[in-house]
Amino acid sequence: MSSTAKLEPQEPIGAYAAERPLIELRNVSKTFGSVKALSDLEVAIQPGELVTVVGPSGCGKSTLFNILAGLEEPDPGNILRLKGKSSSASDLLGKVSFMPQRDLLLPWRNVIDNAILALEVEGMSRTEARKQAREMLPEFGLAGFEAQYPNQLSGGMRQRVALMRTFLFKRDLMLLDEPFGALDALTRTMMQRWLLDVWQKHKRTVLFITHDVDEAIFLGDRVLVMTARPGKVKLEQVVDLPRPRKADIVTSSEFIALKKTLLEAIEEESMKSFQVSGH
Amino acid sequence: MSGIKASAASLPVFSTGRVYAAIKPILWLTLGLAVIEATVVLFEIRPYYLPRPSAIAANIVATPGAYISGLWRTVLETALGFVAGSVFGVAIAIVFHRWTLLRELFFPLFVVSQTIPVIAFGAVVVLWFGNTLFAKAVISFYISFLPVTVNTLLGFNSVDPRQVQLMRSFGAKDGQILRRIYLPAALPQLFVALKLASSLALVGAIVGEWFGDTTGLGVLLLQAMYNENVVGIWATIVVSACLGMGLYSLVALAERRIVFWGNEQ
Ligand SMILES: Nc1ncnc2c1ncn2[C@@H]1O[C@H](COP(=O)(O)OP(=O)(O)OP(=O)(O)O)[C@@H](O)[C@H]1O
Ligand SMILES: [Mg+2]
Repeated sequence: MSSTAKLEPQEPIGAYAAERPLIELRNVSKTFGSVKALSDLEVAIQPGELVTVVGPSGCGKSTLFNILAGLEEPDPGNILRLKGKSSSASDLLGKVSFMPQRDLLLPWRNVIDNAILALEVEGMSRTEARKQAREMLPEFGLAGFEAQYPNQLSGGMRQRVALMRTFLFKRDLMLLDEPFGALDALTRTMMQRWLLDVWQKHKRTVLFITHDVDEAIFLGDRVLVMTARPGKVKLEQVVDLPRPRKADIVTSSEFIALKKTLLEAIEEESMKSFQVSGH
Repeated sequence: MSGIKASAASLPVFSTGRVYAAIKPILWLTLGLAVIEATVVLFEIRPYYLPRPSAIAANIVATPGAYISGLWRTVLETALGFVAGSVFGVAIAIVFHRWTLLRELFFPLFVVSQTIPVIAFGAVVVLWFGNTLFAKAVISFYISFLPVTVNTLLGFNSVDPRQVQLMRSFGAKDGQILRRIYLPAALPQLFVALKLASSLALVGAIVGEWFGDTTGLGVLLLQAMYNENVVGIWATIVVSACLGMGLYSLVALAERRIVFWGNEQ
C-alpha cells in the first residue's frame, strides 16, 4: 500500500509481514539428554493474534511453552525476540502469562487467593488484588465460589480458576497449554465460546495448545501443526473464518475443508511418531 | 444419638452424637478409674505397687500448691524448648533443603547427636547453663528439633516441581516461593512431627529437672521417690500425663485448624 521507502528492512513471515511480531523464534532446538524435543523451530506471533498449536503427543508442544515462559533455555544458536528485542529465555520469566497443562491450584488457598497468586508475586497488596479478582469472578462463571477450596470444585471450575489466574497476570502474551483438555465435550464447547468472548474483550495475544482439531480451528486465527519429535512447524494454516464465530460454524464447508487439510497433516505426523516409538 | 453415615468414598462410618462425643473421654476415664479402684481393692494390691486412684486424687487435692507450681515450671520449660526446637527444626530444614552440601555434611552429625542418650547430655547442659529454667529448655529443645527437621524436609520434597515452575513464570523470587509453596506444602508433615515433638519436649524438661532444680514435675517425682512416697509418685505421674495429653491436644487442635486441606495434592 505505502509507497514511501521503509528504512527498516522487513522480514516477511507468511501473510503477517505487515506488523512487527510480538514474539519471534528462529532456529530454536531443545535437547534433553539423548531426546531431541524441538529442532529448528520457527514461529512468529503477531500482537492480538490467537494462534492454536496442534501436533502428536510428545512432539514438544509443552517444551515450546516452557521456553516461551522462560522456564527452559533452548540449545545455543537460537534467536528469540520479544517485541523485536533479542533475549534469552530466562529474560522472559515474569513477562509471559503461562497456564500449564495441569491447573496446579494450591489446596490451601481458596478460589480468590489462588487467582491472585501472580498478582501477589508482583507485589500487589492482597486487598487490592482480591478486589480485582472479585470483579472478574462473574465473567469466569465463578461468582459465589470465591471462598471455596479447590477440592470443592468441579474440573471445569478448577480450570476456570487457573484461567482467571492467568488472565489476572496481565502480560502481552498468554500461553495456554491444553486448558480444556480434561473437560467433557459439552463443557469444553461452552468454555471455547466463553474464551473467545473473553479474548475479544481483553485483546490479548494467545498461544493455545490443543489436541482437538475442531477446537484449534474454532478458536484460532492461525493453526500451527507440529511435526512428530523432534518438533518443528509443519504447517501454518490461516483460519479466515469471520469473527465472532458461532457454534454452528463447525458445520460450514469452509470449516470442514480446513479440518480436512489439518487432519491429513496431523495424521501423517502421528503415524511417524508411532513408527519412531515403535522401534 | 448415633447413625450410620453411608458414603461412597469410605466404609460406612458410625457417627456418634455430639453430646456423646463431648462426654465420651470423661465417661471412659471414669470407668477406667473405677475398674482400677475395684481391682486394687478386690485383689488387695499393696499401695507400694499401685495405690488406689481415689488416694492419688486425694493426695493432689490435699496439696495442690506443690503440683500447680511444679506443673507451671515444667510447662514453661517444655513450651520454651518446644517452640525453640520447632523453629530451629524448620530453619535447619530450609537450610538443608537449599544447600545440599551442608545437608550432606551436617545431617549425619545431627542424627548421631540424637543417639547420645539425653541423660548423658543433660549433666553437661546443666554444667554449662547452670541450674536454670533455660538449661531444661535446652534439653527439651535438643530432643525435639530433629523430628521437625526430618518431617519438614519430607514435606518440602512433596512439592510439585511444576508448581514451582509456575511461580517462576510469574517472576517469583526464592523467598516468595518458599513462603507461598514450600512452607504451606510442608505443613501436613510438619504437624505430624510437632505432635511427636510436644511429647518429646516434655520428656526433656522432666529429665532435665533431675539434674538439679527446686521446682517442677521432675523434682516432685524425685522427691517422692526418695521419700518412698508412692502416692506422691503416682500423683506426679497423673499430673505429667495430663500435661502431656494437654500439649498434644493443643497441637492437634492447631493442626485441625491450620491443615484443613489434609494431605491431598
Ligand atoms: N524435563 C525433561 N527432561 C527430559 N525429557 C523431557 C523433558 N521435558 C520433555 N521431555 C521430552 O521431550 C519430548 C516432548 O515433550 P513435551 O512435554 O513438550 O510434549 P508435548 O507435545 O507437550 O506432549 P503432550 O501433547 O503429550 O502434552 C518428550 O519426548 C518428553 O519425553
Ligand atoms: Mg504437553
